[in-house]
Amino acid sequence: MTVAQQYFTRLLASITARKDELNALDAALGDGDHGTTMVRGLTKAAQAEPGLGAKAFMRASGGAAGTLFGLVLVAIERHLDSGADLAAELALAEARICDLGQVKPGDKSMIDALTPAVAALKSSGLDAAIEAARHGCEATIVLEARRGRAQYVEGKGRGHQDPGATSIVILFEVLRQTQENL
Amino acid sequence: MTKLFNSQETMVDDMIDGFVSAFPQVKRGQIDPRVVVRSRARKDPDRKVTVLIGNGSGHEPIAMGFVGQGLLDANVVGDVFAAPSADLILDGIREVNGAAGTLLLISQHSGDVINGRAAIMLADDEKLNARALLMYDDVASAPPERRQDRRGAPGTMFIYKIVGAAAEAGLDLDGLMALGEAVRDRTVSLSAAISPGISPLTGKPMFKLPEGEIFIGMGVHGEPGAGRMPHGPVDRLVETIVDKLLQDRPIAAGGRAAVIINGMGGTTLMELYTIWNETSKALAARGITAIAPMVGSFVTTQEMGGFSISLLEPTEQMLDYWCEPSDSPAFPKVSLLTQEALS
Repeated sequence: MTVAQQYFTRLLASITARKDELNALDAALGDGDHGTTMVRGLTKAAQAEPGLGAKAFMRASGGAAGTLFGLVLVAIERHLDSGADLAAELALAEARICDLGQVKPGDKSMIDALTPAVAALKSSGLDAAIEAARHGCEATIVLEARRGRAQYVEGKGRGHQDPGATSIVILFEVLRQTQENL
Repeated sequence: MTKLFNSQETMVDDMIDGFVSAFPQVKRGQIDPRVVVRSRARKDPDRKVTVLIGNGSGHEPIAMGFVGQGLLDANVVGDVFAAPSADLILDGIREVNGAAGTLLLISQHSGDVINGRAAIMLADDEKLNARALLMYDDVASAPPERRQDRRGAPGTMFIYKIVGAAAEAGLDLDGLMALGEAVRDRTVSLSAAISPGISPLTGKPMFKLPEGEIFIGMGVHGEPGAGRMPHGPVDRLVETIVDKLLQDRPIAAGGRAAVIINGMGGTTLMELYTIWNETSKALAARGITAIAPMVGSFVTTQEMGGFSISLLEPTEQMLDYWCEPSDSPAFPKVSLLTQEALS
């Protein structure tokens, strides 16, 4: 197994273990299938040929969320497979997600965890990035949604942690796990 | 309602298998079987710009029906009513890309735009020369001052055909982008719906419409429209639509309009020919000559009842490309006679 394949296998296990939690977070804000969608995409990513995990994820998870998470996984897969600079790849993914999804920090989305994590990664490394992602994710609880379905629910999702930001934290945690177990 | 498929899991691939075996112009891609490509006499993609589009299935014959000489080089086929994923669109670009570059047409709907633009970003990473042209023409979906927010509607077929013919004639990528944008800026569409389509996935109507009313400007998946009218003779409905189109983008008396009358799948040719006739008369009453019409059901949503009228005020060059013969499974012969009679 390549390192990226190990990463997708571990990520599938971690997300599967928290699928119900992610679905419940999404049910408060959207259509309640975020965990299920991630598991569907990661199942294919874990089975994919070397170098094609993120693309398999995009294909299987479907929808705009599949594309936006897929871009983060493209960045991580490139880093693990070919040693591409992780901070640079993730910064590119972050910029593309903001552009495509028309989101910015504070809108209550995956970006609220990703943006601080990328900044911390550049200056202080992976452990700091995980901490920054966790803080950013917890901070989504008090935010009101400005994009996506959550902006139409009562209270605009205030009081609920964003499921996409939660998944971003898991993506970073599993990255460290994978590197520790090489 | 029972539909005539083998299974939900195989319905899209079963259809593509049938399509490529029924029409010698097309075949499945070599990199990705969910891409339909031209099967013969392709020009060198290092010299000819290649043109493709992706879309959810369930709207046939669009867009795989327009793959062929003088039109599209490829169509990326998504699942039922779902935009193809970014990696699948990227595979479509890789199927046809050469040094001359590739133009990805995107009909403006949220999923298609995000996935199509992401595919262009991934193509950039692979150093493939590919660009995206966003297409939008539905006047009901945003006011004129926000044209760029409009949905793609059947008037986008003007862009497919004109850009496809121009690519075949050797126009470069910059030229095709500019031509496509110019066609887009001269195109407006508006629809009228009377009944929903039945989803192949659920076997149920995709949305509900009260009996006895016509919904103007409704999107192909039941997206809200611009207004409603009681049922009555179709000439008044056509007059209303033509007026709204010309209010949005006026054409001066003495001008010309190329016309698409598109049926949504459950409206008969008997009705569509009548609607074309009323459109032609309504335009004539306003001093505008209707020319080179395309009449039929090309962008469908299963058996949805209704139609749209699309108007393009063409330049001479656009009209030539619009009427240029092509060879794809489903694009009709657009008559040159009206144009010749005018000149």
